[in-house]
Amino acid sequence: MTINAVFLLYTLAGIGFITHLFTRKPAVAAASRALFVLSVGAHLIFILALARQTGGLPVLSPAQGANMMVFLASLVFVFFAFRRSTTVLGAFFLPVAGFVLGLIAPALTQAGASSLASSRVWYPLHTLTVIGGEALFAVAFVVAVVYLLHDSSIRRGNIHSAATSLPPLRMLDRILTVCLSLGFVAITAGMTFGALWASSMGVSFSHLAAKASAGALTWLVFAFSIHQRFAIGWAGRRTAVTTILGFALMTILFIVLNLVFPDAHGLGLMA
Amino acid sequence: MNRISCISINYRLAPVEIRERVVVSLKDFEDLMPRDAELYALTTCNRTEVYWTGMDEGTVAARLCERSGLSGEELRKFSEVHHGRDAVKHLFRVSCGLDSLVIGEAQILGQVKDAYRASLEAKTTSIFLNKALHSAFRAAKRVRTETDIGKYPVSVASEAVELACHIFGDIHQSTVLVVGAGDMAGIAASRLKERGAHDLVIVNRTHAAACTLAEELGGTPRPFESLKDELVRCDIVIASTGSPVPIITKPLMDEVMKARRGSPLILIDIAVPRDVDPAVAKCYNCYLYDIDALKAIVDRHLTNREEQAEKALGIIAQEVDSFERWVHSLNAQATIKDLFGMLDAYVEDEVRQSALCGEEAARLEQNLRSALRRLIHRVVSFLKEHPSLANIEHTRRIFRLDGDYQDRHKG
Repeated sequence: MTINAVFLLYTLAGIGFITHLFTRKPAVAAASRALFVLSVGAHLIFILALARQTGGLPVLSPAQGANMMVFLASLVFVFFAFRRSTTVLGAFFLPVAGFVLGLIAPALTQAGASSLASSRVWYPLHTLTVIGGEALFAVAFVVAVVYLLHDSSIRRGNIHSAATSLPPLRMLDRILTVCLSLGFVAITAGMTFGALWASSMGVSFSHLAAKASAGALTWLVFAFSIHQRFAIGWAGRRTAVTTILGFALMTILFIVLNLVFPDAHGLGLMA
Repeated sequence: MNRISCISINYRLAPVEIRERVVVSLKDFEDLMPRDAELYALTTCNRTEVYWTGMDEGTVAARLCERSGLSGEELRKFSEVHHGRDAVKHLFRVSCGLDSLVIGEAQILGQVKDAYRASLEAKTTSIFLNKALHSAFRAAKRVRTETDIGKYPVSVASEAVELACHIFGDIHQSTVLVVGAGDMAGIAASRLKERGAHDLVIVNRTHAAACTLAEELGGTPRPFESLKDELVRCDIVIASTGSPVPIITKPLMDEVMKARRGSPLILIDIAVPRDVDPAVAKCYNCYLYDIDALKAIVDRHLTNREEQAEKALGIIAQEVDSFERWVHSLNAQATIKDLFGMLDAYVEDEVRQSALCGEEAARLEQNLRSALRRLIHRVVSFLKEHPSLANIEHTRRIFRLDGDYQDRHKG
């Protein structure tokens, strides 16, 4: 199984979900779901093959980290795809997933800093929790975009076009809140495990300062979003906006830091 | 196709004062119907229509005048008459809701079916009208499934329900607050109730009116002073009071939304003058729609229905063609029957003229019949395959089925 085949399957499933968004035909939805499950299955086979090749968890480079994030987010969306009210979310997630896979595909098989993976306890815990948290933020990002689109349609009274298929705002807000909360817990745990891993490896703080600061900044944005959501009552649009901003910041920091400090701890912000 | 006729007194031609006089039932025509006649009558608030076969237009019109008290001239002025293909097309248009006040409304089909059930019970319809009505039902089904004509709501209350569903998902779980106890508030609240809202709270300045409406709708009346508390608690607000100034103001809603901790609230203001200050739309997570906003949405949907009606007319044309083919095939059967009748008559004539008898006469008859059957076999096959009106007409003219043969038989 090659990443190109996985990319192709994701693209086809994405086209299926977009067609379903506009046609609302149950047969199209069923075909898209089948293709999506096939895509995720193919992706799993690809990750297992990569793990065999690298001799461990295949998150040794930023590209591999992003690949794992797409896979974990896809698992969440498989659940959504099989619920009638949330099937259409695939039309928004799969194009993003396909785009990311297409972007990282050439770098996926390049060797990462495997020497840094020597800590058998903290390192896998750190990478998995951080990437899992980021996958949940990615899900929250897609849901937030859908929320804003649907909210705008409702305010304009234009609810009978493609918006007819979108899940109700209350449901989107609930999904958004759950993803943010779980993602925040995972990221917090991941950062703690990262600190323990750095300590066990004897890595000095000065070496990690840039990435730790960037991670803390992203953490703060999501902490702010969650605080406002639960303590102040920013349900809905404002939470969606802060989620989008937080995810955008996380993505920008990930790209910039991996370009500016490629060797800071071998895995960039992703792990 | 010329057998079917229709007289229609509808909202386009007749005001309600006339329509309410022309309410007829099948019983009104039963004594007029000859043995092979068929009749179907449809009466709704927007129309009275009578379809028939095997009767004169004058007879039906006279009975309509007699029952309604209208003069012949008045009936002509307020009605339209269709014959043949036009009558069938009109029936199909009515059944599909294309002739309704609100284009594409689905209620009419149920009324057409109810009237059909009554005519079946009264045994006033037979093969021709039965087939026409079944074709009308099929056309209506096709229009529903193949076009978007009935997809978007065209009433303010239905649109409000749709908007609420897009925010809350299921309005069964939502609490509806009705501010005001007038007719409009009652209509809107009853629509929400029909769509599944079960928790209805009615607030009105005159508590007795709130109690009356609450009893009608199965809701709960609350004193007007509890408006703020109810706004905090509810999900959907229908405002329709006669107040000259807004009763739901921005400062009030700021407090309400703070207490709701950002939980969304949809406000439908159908009052004129408005009951909800337009500034309320700026409150976080408040979705405010006044009567103009809802009317604009409904108008868009009506425009869409008009566009879909064009597509529906195409479907109706196909179904009318299909019905016409069936009618022609009926005539083709009659023509084939006449052909064989003509053949038998010729054989009998020839045998009689031959002056043969006994076995020889029987042999001659058998040979002649066999030869003539072989001769017309191709014509019969052709008619069965192409039962168009033109082919049937040519066949009848070539074999003089309406002339010599008929005359001889009559003789």
